[in-house]
Amino acid sequence: MRDDNKINIVLAGQGNSGKSTIFNYLTGLHQHIGNWAGKTIEKAEGTLFYRDHMVDVLDLPGIYSLTTVSEEELISRSYIIKQNPDCVINVVDSTNLERSLIFTLQLLELERPVIIALNMTDLAKRKGITVDVKKLQKILNVPVIPTIASRGSGLTRLVDKAIDLKTGKPERTIHKYGKEIEQGIEELSDQLKGIDLPYPLRWIAIKLLEKDSDITARVSELKPRAVESSLRIMEELEEIHGHDSPLVIADERSLLASRITRETVRIAKDRELSLNERLEVLTTHKVTGYLFMILILGGMFLAVFSFGNRLSEWLDSIFSGWHDLWEAAVGTSFWPALGWSAIESVLALIQIAFPYILPFYILLYLLEDWGYIARISFLMDKLMHKMGIHGKACISFIIGLGCNVPGCLSCRIMESKRERFITAVLVTLVPCSAVSVIVFGLVGKYVGLLWALGLYIFATVLIFIVGKISSKLMIGEPVELIMPMPDYKTPNIKTIFSQTWDSLKEFIYIAAPIVIVSGVVIQGINLAGWMPAIASVMSPVTVNWLGLPAVTGILLIFGILRKELILVMLAAYLGTTDFNEVLTSQQMITLAVVSMFYVPCVATISVLWKEYGWKKALVITLAETAFAIVLAGLVKRGLDVFMV
Amino acid sequence: MHHRHGAGDRRGCINLTGLDDGQSGIIVSVMGGEMLTKRLADLGITPGKELKLIRKTLFSGPVQVEVAGSKLVIGWGLASKIMVEVK
Repeated sequence: MRDDNKINIVLAGQGNSGKSTIFNYLTGLHQHIGNWAGKTIEKAEGTLFYRDHMVDVLDLPGIYSLTTVSEEELISRSYIIKQNPDCVINVVDSTNLERSLIFTLQLLELERPVIIALNMTDLAKRKGITVDVKKLQKILNVPVIPTIASRGSGLTRLVDKAIDLKTGKPERTIHKYGKEIEQGIEELSDQLKGIDLPYPLRWIAIKLLEKDSDITARVSELKPRAVESSLRIMEELEEIHGHDSPLVIADERSLLASRITRETVRIAKDRELSLNERLEVLTTHKVTGYLFMILILGGMFLAVFSFGNRLSEWLDSIFSGWHDLWEAAVGTSFWPALGWSAIESVLALIQIAFPYILPFYILLYLLEDWGYIARISFLMDKLMHKMGIHGKACISFIIGLGCNVPGCLSCRIMESKRERFITAVLVTLVPCSAVSVIVFGLVGKYVGLLWALGLYIFATVLIFIVGKISSKLMIGEPVELIMPMPDYKTPNIKTIFSQTWDSLKEFIYIAAPIVIVSGVVIQGINLAGWMPAIASVMSPVTVNWLGLPAVTGILLIFGILRKELILVMLAAYLGTTDFNEVLTSQQMITLAVVSMFYVPCVATISVLWKEYGWKKALVITLAETAFAIVLAGLVKRGLDVFMV
Repeated sequence: MHHRHGAGDRRGCINLTGLDDGQSGIIVSVMGGEMLTKRLADLGITPGKELKLIRKTLFSGPVQVEVAGSKLVIGWGLASKIMVEVK
């Protein structure tokens, strides 16, 4: 393909602007889309073929502003420069035009061709907001294209425009600051001439006046005189305006955004409140908000449990005759027995794990797509402060309920290193869906629903205590919460099912091979007669301290791979899912407690390693294992006394 | 320390947490470090802007505000550093 048929696009925009939806639509790649800020944490790339062109699309992390000194921001800035895209598509939330424009103005200063995707125009319309597209286009002097990403509307026009832009030479309008600032920028740009940096001179000048540490450091190596001048200019600016130069610039930018919004946006007054707006009032109210939260989370718990149980029983009735059929067909010698254990493992996985994970993900994505998770952050912020973190951590906790791996990764939305680490440690204690399989499928089903609920409450209290302790141990000031509150939107069934499907697919692809191999290995060990030897090595812990059957020692080792293996392998090994035949109620609860808190699974450990280094990962792993064993032993002793 | 809060002594000027649910005010100043004020400015919270307190939570929890046409949640401690003039 010829080079001029290649187009390179970068998608940039603030969190929750629908950027990822546009990316997915364009590239057909299934990437997780969330209704909260900064969900796209790692950049995503995709390619699309359109109108005889090969279009490369790069999705940048959601950013609030190109000046805030967060990691993501630096990454995005350097990508826009390094990638040198043919065009930057700035995805703008049309219901939040003013805030979005602050970012747009900064983006324009980078002097790359920009197209604005004025997204969520359907939502804006419903809220009575009309944006004068032509006028906005004229003021900013860049193409503005109204889009509804969730329905794919306007997206081909975006790409059309990007292709047109590449052939044409767009003119640029400079959006000027106040007189004194402009004089400063002019003087600095003059002195910066010839500097060997891949940025526009005007942009470098602005960054100097904004005290951008990265740019200041680089300029002071190449043109120290410009940095000196910038210091003098800033002093003059501070003299005139009475506050810091970066703030003078931020203020003026913010006021400019305000002015543009006033000129282009009309909001209809006296509209009737929509259902979502009424729900907003109820779910964030200081009293009813908490009641709703308890109802919603409790309802979710009950729904997952009752649906899971029913489906699990139904699957059991289907699979129950299969073993006899297998033996009748191929016999009962060593190899057929080993073969059966592979099949049995998969059946157990389907029967035990799948019924609980399926409804869990559907409900999780429903809440997420609706926008409820941000409300939990709002309601829980105060409590989170007691643990030295803030409300946003709830987002990571809730993702962690699905799987600890994305839960730990999402800790990057926390502002400081300290909070990120505390949140990650706490996320590893959140019972993930694999642990829930054990809690629901073992304790909930055979001991009682209240006991299962009790275990979740126990975990919550424990997370709170550990959070409290770690916030005391980790030095540093807690950061205050600042978080945009996305409006509720009507959940999109298609999005929910496609996200659920993606999670299930990942679960099946990753879990099934591990389950088959471990099932065969365990059965192999068993048939070879080595089981007692291995089990006895671990029996001081498993049998003497925890009061569990010796075989659980091996299961707990396999559980490091994936926690639901503990239950699945137990079923495969016993050849039955009627766990109450082999475990007492006390043993079930003890096993559930160990499974909940001991070693985070391999995948989580590797994420901790990657994010926080091997030392911290190792410490967390060992500490949690020791802690879980001690705790479960104590729980067992407690149960021996109180539960007869 | 910032020069910004000089205006905070003016009459009728209270911090954000002093507003009632549904009450609006004009932002007069933001008292805080450079990082914080800049972060707020990027979200459109700058002096001169109108801000509406939508609701507070129990026990000095975060407050929900509407500013620059969008809704934000701000922790109590931070909210108490934003000075507003009641409309």
